[in-house]
Amino acid sequence: MALPLPPGLTHSEVAFLAEMEMVTVVPRQRLESIDLLSGQTPPLRPPHRAQLPLWLALLLKKQRRANIVPPPWLHPASLADIIHRETKGAGFSAPPPPPARANPHEPGRARRFADDDVTLSPPFQPSCTANAPAGYLPYHWLEVAESLLTHAGDDMAAPVGEVRSLLRDLVEVRAAKMRDSISELQGLERGMMLLTGVGSIELAESRGFVLGVVDGVRKIGASTEATRRDKEEMGDERDDEGSDDDMGI
Amino acid sequence: MDIDDILREVDPVFHAVPQEKRDLQDLTRAWVAERCAPELLHWPADGLFERVNDNIKRQIEKVEEMTGDMDPKTNFALIVLQTELERFKYIVRSYLRARIAKIDRHTLHYLSTDELRSRLSEMELAYATRHQALLHNHYLSSFLSSFPPQMQNLNDAGGNSTMIDTPDLESAVFIRLLIDTVVEGRGVDADGEMNGKVDDIVILRWSDAKPLVDAGSAELV
Repeated sequence: MALPLPPGLTHSEVAFLAEMEMVTVVPRQRLESIDLLSGQTPPLRPPHRAQLPLWLALLLKKQRRANIVPPPWLHPASLADIIHRETKGAGFSAPPPPPARANPHEPGRARRFADDDVTLSPPFQPSCTANAPAGYLPYHWLEVAESLLTHAGDDMAAPVGEVRSLLRDLVEVRAAKMRDSISELQGLERGMMLLTGVGSIELAESRGFVLGVVDGVRKIGASTEATRRDKEEMGDERDDEGSDDDMGI
Repeated sequence: MDIDDILREVDPVFHAVPQEKRDLQDLTRAWVAERCAPELLHWPADGLFERVNDNIKRQIEKVEEMTGDMDPKTNFALIVLQTELERFKYIVRSYLRARIAKIDRHTLHYLSTDELRSRLSEMELAYATRHQALLHNHYLSSFLSSFPPQMQNLNDAGGNSTMIDTPDLESAVFIRLLIDTVVEGRGVDADGEMNGKVDDIVILRWSDAKPLVDAGSAELV
């Protein structure tokens, strides 16, 4: 009954999450709105575009009921631009900016993504729709790109082979960065490390190793850390005494 | 005037995130957090699970009704409904199983204090108590009864070491910041502080991340 898996998402769980990303489809058939648990789907009226979760879009695609519009960041020009930035800059390229501005050409799309009590985070941000900004990789970039290329290759803006080879370059550049960041891990200087811009599958891949290193270093240094903390506490107490003396004078 | 009011003015169809989507977001977040955290987290307090379960039940009834109707048009809608239903059930099942795994591993720990007991749902509490009682009785009848009485306990905490296993709260986790906030971390050689920004992904110890996650300023990834 109990789940015998170690902490951290597995690859198939990450793929499952990525299927919740919203994508834009161009329907080829009319389809009435369906009352789903996650809310009603928009009624599909060709040729009007609609936003659907990836799993539903793939289902429609398989039955040839719709075409999927690839997100702008998946265009070869955008990918090449990202690869260029990744090779030049140190860290991972920045994640997409939060879409918070109202666009007068698209009524109904203005939406703040921090509501009073709920903050949407990937996969619920519309970072894979046709309106997503080009030049930024969303959190689930590799999974979404892979399933779009496999199941909707004919909808891509460029030949599948070209996009794939660009993606492979990108994966390699970023994997090298992930490996480099591991050398910083052993210190983990101030008890934390920033990995902003990293993708979900990249995290899942190196999670076991990274967490193993961090925990191992912590256990080796446990006694050093305890001594340091004791010393700091003693130091604080001494300071307190000093100030008491001042007060006495 | 709030930014929402301004948005509503420029965009007449502006609306906040609907309840169904919120629930899915909360459910997914709770699931991912439970899968990644080294210890058991609080059972969602706002009736999220009861709501999701009711919705699933209602949806199943609807599917049953629709199956009788053999119209090819509703047929496709039925497939979509069932696919989504399975996805929801998968998250709920995986979430509950992840929790049971943690409860099984450290049963006595989660039953030891009121604060820890309050993290369990009623069902989980009943399960943990009963499971532990069965286990203790079984041990008693098979070997513990031949021990001296003072050595028959399973939760002795005397003599510098405790028999109750606890999860390692210092193990490292990945979090994503949901708002701009200060992140404090403790390291081996020095402690640190950082001004974190939205969408930053940070590796740090769970004990340092917990206050941020509890306050809703960060989520586990």
